[in-house]
Amino acid sequence: MKLRPKFYIGDVLILLISILFILFTFKSFWHFEAGSIVQVNFQGKVYGNFSLFQNKKINLTGKEGESVIEIREGRARFVTSPCKNQYCVQQGWIHYAGQMLICIPNEVSVEILDKTKAYDSLNY
Amino acid sequence: MTRSIIKIKTTLLDHQVAQLSAIAIGLSLLESVLPSPIPGVKPGIANIISLYALYRFNFSTAMWVSILRVFATSLILGQFLSPTFMLSFTGSLLSLITLYISFRLSKRFFSPISLSILSSFAHIAGQLLLVRFWLIPHASIYYLIPIYSLSALLFGLINGWITDQLLKHHNSL
Repeated sequence: MKLRPKFYIGDVLILLISILFILFTFKSFWHFEAGSIVQVNFQGKVYGNFSLFQNKKINLTGKEGESVIEIREGRARFVTSPCKNQYCVQQGWIHYAGQMLICIPNEVSVEILDKTKAYDSLNY
Repeated sequence: MTRSIIKIKTTLLDHQVAQLSAIAIGLSLLESVLPSPIPGVKPGIANIISLYALYRFNFSTAMWVSILRVFATSLILGQFLSPTFMLSFTGSLLSLITLYISFRLSKRFFSPISLSILSSFAHIAGQLLLVRFWLIPHASIYYLIPIYSLSALLFGLINGWITDQLLKHHNSL
């Protein structure tokens, strides 16, 4: 019994087209850009938009206690958080547009914005 | 009072459809037990039977097998008219349309492998469209397109190859 499949010209063509298509989808949907602005949300409201290219520490006192957010060299992170699970601290640094750190107990979230979204902050 | 007996006349084609559907339903159920790494990434081995029916008999047989399989499997698993069923139904419809069109391609250049790849792409395209416009109307779905299209190519290729072998060596199913 011959198990080797017989490929016709059309099969090869379709295979090549699909591989190209997949490479194209990876390139167009999985591109990550470094963001330039970080948006801090606190207790359901926008606390402020900050440039990522500065060294800054933000202290926020919420229901649970004090959360400390650090911005340094184009990245952002939670330094300390009063919450039990510490998920936000353990996620470490974020720097791509669209990435987010959320601390639900203390109602703090940090999101990196890309250029198109950051345009809104001009009105702010 | 005389008892009335209703006898449905069945043709040979009905028997063929029933046999093939039974195999397809069995494969579908087998597959539903297997764990999947990502929700939605499934080999779709039941499509082998639809493709086999298309080549061995004709398009209407393949259509019957495919549609019956979707309905029967969802009834058995208790998913009838649920989102899972709708996803499966949309995917099957789109891949049937693709098979109908691509079956007209020259047999000299295109083997069942081509049709299998095309139909699995159509299947996933239908499902993603339904998810995008009905279940999760959010653009973040697009992040999944690369993974799903990669798995469509992989499983389409494998299923097509199995169908090719079935048609060559087991032509009496």
